[in-house]
Amino acid sequence: MIRRHFEEELDEVRTIASRMAALVEDAIRLSMQSLLKRDRDLANLVVEGDKEINRLHMQLREEVFTIISTQAPVASDLRLVIGVGYIGAELERMGDYATRIAKRSRRLADEPEGSPAVYVELGQMAELVEQQVHDILDAFIAVDQAAAMAVAERDDRIDRLYRKVFADQISAMTEDPEHALRTQYLLNIAHTLERLADRVTNVAEDIVFLATGDVVELD
Amino acid sequence: MSAEPREQPGRDGAAFIKSGPEPVLELSQDQPTKVATRDLNFYYGDFLALKGINLEVPRNRVTSLIGPSGCGKSTLIRVFNRMYDLVPGARVEGQVLIDGEDVTGKHVDAVGLRQRVGMVFQKPNPFPMSIYDNVAYGPRILGWRKNLDELVEKSLRQAALWDEVKDRLHRSGLALSGGQQQRLVIARVLAVEPEVILMDEPASALDPIATLKIEDLTHELKKTYTILIVTHNMQQAARASDYAAFMMMSPERYGELVEFGPTVEIFNRPKSKLTEDYITGRFG
Repeated sequence: MIRRHFEEELDEVRTIASRMAALVEDAIRLSMQSLLKRDRDLANLVVEGDKEINRLHMQLREEVFTIISTQAPVASDLRLVIGVGYIGAELERMGDYATRIAKRSRRLADEPEGSPAVYVELGQMAELVEQQVHDILDAFIAVDQAAAMAVAERDDRIDRLYRKVFADQISAMTEDPEHALRTQYLLNIAHTLERLADRVTNVAEDIVFLATGDVVELD
Repeated sequence: MSAEPREQPGRDGAAFIKSGPEPVLELSQDQPTKVATRDLNFYYGDFLALKGINLEVPRNRVTSLIGPSGCGKSTLIRVFNRMYDLVPGARVEGQVLIDGEDVTGKHVDAVGLRQRVGMVFQKPNPFPMSIYDNVAYGPRILGWRKNLDELVEKSLRQAALWDEVKDRLHRSGLALSGGQQQRLVIARVLAVEPEVILMDEPASALDPIATLKIEDLTHELKKTYTILIVTHNMQQAARASDYAAFMMMSPERYGELVEFGPTVEIFNRPKSKLTEDYITGRFG
């Protein structure tokens, strides 16, 4: 094997990104549980856990920089290094979104619960987002561009649910102005879930780049 | 204010309208072909060294030839100025075209061809004479009738050496550093006003700064000349060439052309698995 050291370095960036991905997946799941169960401890766990995601992101950036400067990778190696660098940035941001949901959940735990319907809808959105995140990370590990594009196409269902929640909460705000703050938090969580799904689409674009070198825009 | 959420939160405006990636520059749309081979086979006696080479080298561009040792890169560039004439038993099948004219025929004047197609070797090889005489050597043989001083200065300037040697033109070329000697050799080639310059690993004996000077020089020279460069240094091929040809030795041990295209394409997304494996160092 004439490039053992280089292969080890490439494995290292794959491993860091996979570890980040696993943590992000957990963070999203736990943040939604903290909302639905009104569980402050779970929310605190997510907020605390984000520090590890951020630390891994810094480590990943350092590794990517070192590989580019010392190994001068080309072709599929370069695409891997650059692509994983991009994906790392998306994962870091997804971790921030999970943290935002956890912080809103903490606040909501202080508010009266309100209508259960919106929690059902948010739960459905979260389920779709979690599945998308899980599947896109599988596609990343397998460097499977077809799977990545298929995952990105599922974004529409989340957008539809978001529009429904948005319309319902605007009505709720008009009908029950007293609890406008709660409504605002719930809207913010719905928006954050929608943005998480958009980040999944970005990761899908990065996987296509990693696999083919083509820069694409998936809608 | 609309109650509907926007599909794309953020700013609107023309600058944010999505657009697809720019189309990759097509090879054929760039420059016309200066040098080409058609079904080229090359033999050293009974030994088939190159088989079925079809290559089109664009005018005013730097084209690099890359590939593992023994794949026939140096043999191929020596075909373009018939250096093989000097090797007993060496022969060519197929065509080698310069501006569409086949230069393999016996009727073609090899000396005239080598004036049109100059060559720079791995090891700088200045003649044991002054800097001035090194550059003036070719023009004198060709019977240059105009101002020789001007030609020497112009050639040394083109080779990015003038400023370093203008006060010592009559000192020996052998007294220069390796990098300067290589640029002197390039000046000597330029002095006979060639159309094509062949470079066989021109920087492999030089330090990194001298190497960058040669690479920088090729960028300038391609405005006037067509340049073919053999290199083992992948980063040099990536930095210094516009097009790259990847060659390999076949299982039958003849050299063949595996892939040719814009250097950016070869190094970003090679089409052949063999190219990919070679440039990424999976085999050498």
